[in-house]
Amino acid sequence: MAKGKSCVVLPFLIGFVGALIVGWGLFPKLLYSEKAQPIRFSHKVHVEDQGMACDECHTFREDGSFAGIPTTEECAECHAEVMGEDPAEAKFVEEYVNEDREVPWLIYQKQPDNVFFSHIAHQDFDCTTCHPDVGNSDTPPVYYENKISGYSKQTMKMWQCERCHAQNGASNACYVCHK
Amino acid sequence: MGLDRRGFITFLVGGAVGTLFTPVPWKLADDVSIWSQNWPWIPKLQYGARSEAPSLCKLCPGGCGLSVHKVGKRPVTAQGNKNHPLSQGGVCPLGSSAVQLLYRPARVKGPLKKNNGRFEAISWEEAAQIVADNLKGKKIAALSGDENGSASEVLAGFLKLLGSDDFYFMPSDAQVSQRAWSLMEGKGQLGFDLENSDYVLILGADILSSWGPVVRNQKAFASRKGKFVYAGPVQTGTAATVDKWMPVYPGQEGVLALGICYYLLKMGKSASLKNFGLVRDYILSKYTPSVVEAKTGVSAAQVQKLAQDLVKASAPCVLVGSDFGQGSGAFEWASGILVNLLLGTLNQKGGLVALPENKVITSAPWRSELNQKSFLKFLDEVEQGKAVDGLLVYEANPLYALPQPEQVKTVLEKIPFKVSFSTFLDETAMACDLILPAPHFLERFDDAYTPFGVGQEIYSVAAPVIEPIFSTKSTPDFILEVANKLGVDLGFASFEEVLQAKAESLGTDLESVSAEAYTSDKWLAQNSLSLPVEILATGLETEGEGVFLAPVARNYLGNTKQALTPFEVVVVKEFELQKKDFYIQVNKNTANKLKLKQNGKVKLQGAGGECVARVNITETVMNDVIAAPLGFGHQAWDEFAKGKGDNLFKVLSVKEEKGSGLKVWNRSQVKVVRA
Ligand code: SF4
Repeated sequence: MAKGKSCVVLPFLIGFVGALIVGWGLFPKLLYSEKAQPIRFSHKVHVEDQGMACDECHTFREDGSFAGIPTTEECAECHAEVMGEDPAEAKFVEEYVNEDREVPWLIYQKQPDNVFFSHIAHQDFDCTTCHPDVGNSDTPPVYYENKISGYSKQTMKMWQCERCHAQNGASNACYVCHK
Repeated sequence: MGLDRRGFITFLVGGAVGTLFTPVPWKLADDVSIWSQNWPWIPKLQYGARSEAPSLCKLCPGGCGLSVHKVGKRPVTAQGNKNHPLSQGGVCPLGSSAVQLLYRPARVKGPLKKNNGRFEAISWEEAAQIVADNLKGKKIAALSGDENGSASEVLAGFLKLLGSDDFYFMPSDAQVSQRAWSLMEGKGQLGFDLENSDYVLILGADILSSWGPVVRNQKAFASRKGKFVYAGPVQTGTAATVDKWMPVYPGQEGVLALGICYYLLKMGKSASLKNFGLVRDYILSKYTPSVVEAKTGVSAAQVQKLAQDLVKASAPCVLVGSDFGQGSGAFEWASGILVNLLLGTLNQKGGLVALPENKVITSAPWRSELNQKSFLKFLDEVEQGKAVDGLLVYEANPLYALPQPEQVKTVLEKIPFKVSFSTFLDETAMACDLILPAPHFLERFDDAYTPFGVGQEIYSVAAPVIEPIFSTKSTPDFILEVANKLGVDLGFASFEEVLQAKAESLGTDLESVSAEAYTSDKWLAQNSLSLPVEILATGLETEGEGVFLAPVARNYLGNTKQALTPFEVVVVKEFELQKKDFYIQVNKNTANKLKLKQNGKVKLQGAGGECVARVNITETVMNDVIAAPLGFGHQAWDEFAKGKGDNLFKVLSVKEEKGSGLKVWNRSQVKVVRA
């Protein structure tokens, strides 16, 4: 009988611990695919070497909307032709500027269309409160794409928005974010 | 030790319990729910900077300036351009579909060639070669649905250099008015200075819904200085909106005009016509109040009151036109012009005005000359054996939008080589040998010079607001390319150069005119007018058998060029279309007379064809008249237009007008039988 009992506990424990290992260790690795940006954009070159400020490229438009990542046309104001030695720049000029195409940048915080996020309403926060600190990176961080939902791993969930709103006394009414 | 069945089950239970302490079930449930909201067919928002680009609507000859709202490079909606004189910030339902039409399923995606009844994709080089080979030394004709764009000038000039005079516009009041004006020895293009009039009498033309520069007409009405009165058989958009609606039998607007002339002449009014005496005597003897009352359904007292009101006004204007924008005769126009002459409003503020012409292609005839020619007469000639080797069709759909389209199809089959330059897969394109799609007008350079009906010279140009989505080519550019291949010199290398030259001929330049339309206040003085009395006889002809048919054109149901748009499908009313049947409208009196029941199925039988409809009983139509919408019954296009209702053009009957030789179909009569 005692022997029989130990036979039950051990497989249970093995199953339990195994599930924990798979669930916490393996599952996240399986769930996300790792992607690199189409162009290895170096913020460092632009900020440190060229002394550019963030808002030279990441601007608010006249109507208060946020321009996000600059368009190819805006990049081409400087990069109409290859300026440096970096092969990534050459690739950008050749494949996007010359072809008049937009770069399909991977947006780490991309929100669905039904979320109306206003950057200008959040401008008192530091960018890195929500975004990865890419300002000094030479190679953009790896982008983790959820294989099921297609969203970035870092896309903020609604509960995170709501928590911050609650902590800061901002309204959590539906229409604040969903128009 | 081995793992027995019991151990295995406890292992699974342990695994299941363990899983509950991991993110797996919760994360999966969340992700699957998000996945289920991201089906590929759900439209995605376009992000980017918002901007506005000026453009020009080419969906009808109205010439409205548009303001195309863009997000990034992509147009998202079209509104009226506040700075454009013909739109003043307004747009009609059709124009508001402009952007959506870029993606209409019926768009032709590249050049096509018919091979054993099926279309095959070809390259533009191949297309140019086929066209050049088929035009060289051949007898060519062309039909254009663009009555005020320079593309037609390029086409007409090209034809002339190929030795052909067979350039035609799709029929419209622009042509008929020109024909009548020329018969009266008038110069220039007629227009109406509605903005400055204090009493506008509209005879027939549904100016606030579908006739002429609709949006400008609406703006003129909105800021009117006095009264707008409408005479026509149906309570159209115009009739329902203006200050007064007077029911008049279809196609009898000219008779009503002469009825008014009768009273004006009795009041001693005169017009500076070479043969004024003859005209006066003719009207006083033939268009007596009783004759006019019998023909029009308007009482003599009412006609007299109209004449008195017009005389009392300080800037009266009488605007005549077909109820549905086409099919009228020189009779209506000459009669309408005559009222204005008797009122002394010609080239006066608020009156009937004569506007200048312009052209830059040397070989092209003037627009006023092109407007003298009738495509229906050309079809008669072809039917009777006139040899024509090729037909070029630009922005026109004659196999849908001409009276008796089946007969038109049979005649056109005699022409061995037909090319359609349509942007959309319409009925005519389907029957052509080549379809060489023009870009949508938001994707190309285009222009409009003094749309018919306006009261001033206006030139508008639009530059493309979006790169072509499909493999399309601007038709005038293609024609210039083919001309080059054939060694024919039109004097321009590109259509943009043509527009530049036109702008310069008006003392401006392409850039300025693209940003803001050019306008002038030039009116052409007339020296010696006359009015051949034979034209006035038409109104006295006895009517045929059957009930009067009043076709109604409504921009939201599409027009002669554009089929019911995807945007507008939702605004079609239940008494206009239900399932596959469209509705005719009759009032209770007429329904009783014809023994028609609400929703009953009927056949309308015209001289050359019949169509099936259901009956709606409504008091918005005068006695003894059947009103029915144009715009249904397409057999091509896409699911938004195809197979909905029947095509009213099938039952319109064409007559030849004495005196002018014009073909007219605004006095069609039909028989109604139960289906
Ligand atoms: S009236 Fe004609 S030109 Fe003006 S918006 Fe409507 S379809 Fe376009």
